[in-house]
Amino acid sequence: MLLCRANSCAACYEVAVPESPVRSTQTNSESAHALNARQWYARGLFAGVTSVQGLVLFASYIGFGGLCAGIGFPLGAAVFSSFLVLALPSQLLLVGGYVAGNGALVIALAVLLSAARLLPTVVTLLPYLRGRGRLSVQLFAAHFVAISIWVESRRHLPPLAPDARLPFYFGLVTVFNLGCVAATLIGYLLAGRLPHALAVGLTFLTPISFLLALTRNSRDLVDYFSLAFGLALAPVFAAYGGQLDLLWTGLAGGTAAWLIHRLRKKARAA
Amino acid sequence: MNALVESGLWPYLLVIAAGFLPTEVWRWLAVIFARRLDEDSEWMILVRAVATALVAGVIMRLVLIPTGDLVAVPLAIRIGAVAGGFLVYFLARRSMLIGVLAGEAIMVAGAYFTAG
Repeated sequence: MLLCRANSCAACYEVAVPESPVRSTQTNSESAHALNARQWYARGLFAGVTSVQGLVLFASYIGFGGLCAGIGFPLGAAVFSSFLVLALPSQLLLVGGYVAGNGALVIALAVLLSAARLLPTVVTLLPYLRGRGRLSVQLFAAHFVAISIWVESRRHLPPLAPDARLPFYFGLVTVFNLGCVAATLIGYLLAGRLPHALAVGLTFLTPISFLLALTRNSRDLVDYFSLAFGLALAPVFAAYGGQLDLLWTGLAGGTAAWLIHRLRKKARAA
Repeated sequence: MNALVESGLWPYLLVIAAGFLPTEVWRWLAVIFARRLDEDSEWMILVRAVATALVAGVIMRLVLIPTGDLVAVPLAIRIGAVAGGFLVYFLARRSMLIGVLAGEAIMVAGAYFTAG
């Protein structure tokens, strides 16, 4: 909106269109002619800076930074993981496994199992990120997909003209990626300067908010069961599961929840 | 190998090998196999269930077997903060913000009054 006022011209009204998803595609293709890729990139940056979803995400990453400081994961590696991994559950498993003293292979397997749910999010977003069809560009675009980006992209991208989507998307992910890196740094540094009780609170922010987010995101009984089994089995496997306790928790808890879901489905069908 | 594990470089290598690669591979697979996938298939439900149980497990582990800052907080308070957050979340008609604030309040107050 600010950009519009700065260069007040007839096309500006069209430029404002991507903010409201309900406008016709025709208006959008006109605005695509008025803007080049760099301007669409700037639009994406602006959408990222003003995104509420982004603010929530950055708050989570401040918590992640605090968690890393609280459990003794090095600052540089914490920031590096926010820059490169871009998926908070993966990062949580990474630092959780690190402090539990798990080996790289065990952590990698846990992360691999948990990150599988990124697959459908990337698949549903891809139609908007094809660009000119170059595989390298698609792989690069897919690198930034995480839940928050998925939510914002599903809102912003569909109404845009095909040529505008990719630059807009890259603007959005630039803000989200750098914002997460900065938030991790801030959370980490903050934790060292806070009084003990508040530092404890910051360390606890990621676990408690993830737990409630998992509860909120549960749609079906299978989600609630896997959540409950994961919570209940964690101490059991931590005591008796040896090095692979986290993997056993995920595999046993998740599979048990899924089997119950299958049995119920069969019982209903019968 | 041991020298590597003890060096300062180890956490960075871990981020790449155990964080980045196992996450990124799904994004690549999605690009390559995009058209042959059904979001609501039974396999995807299993994938979601295992992922949920894993993340729930790592949260429980961080709370029950803490390291660093949380060690100083007694177990009863750590469990109380999780249970309290949960309870208030449901009492407040599933408000995440209020649930998180309640859990945090218990944890911070507990840490404040128990720490020497």
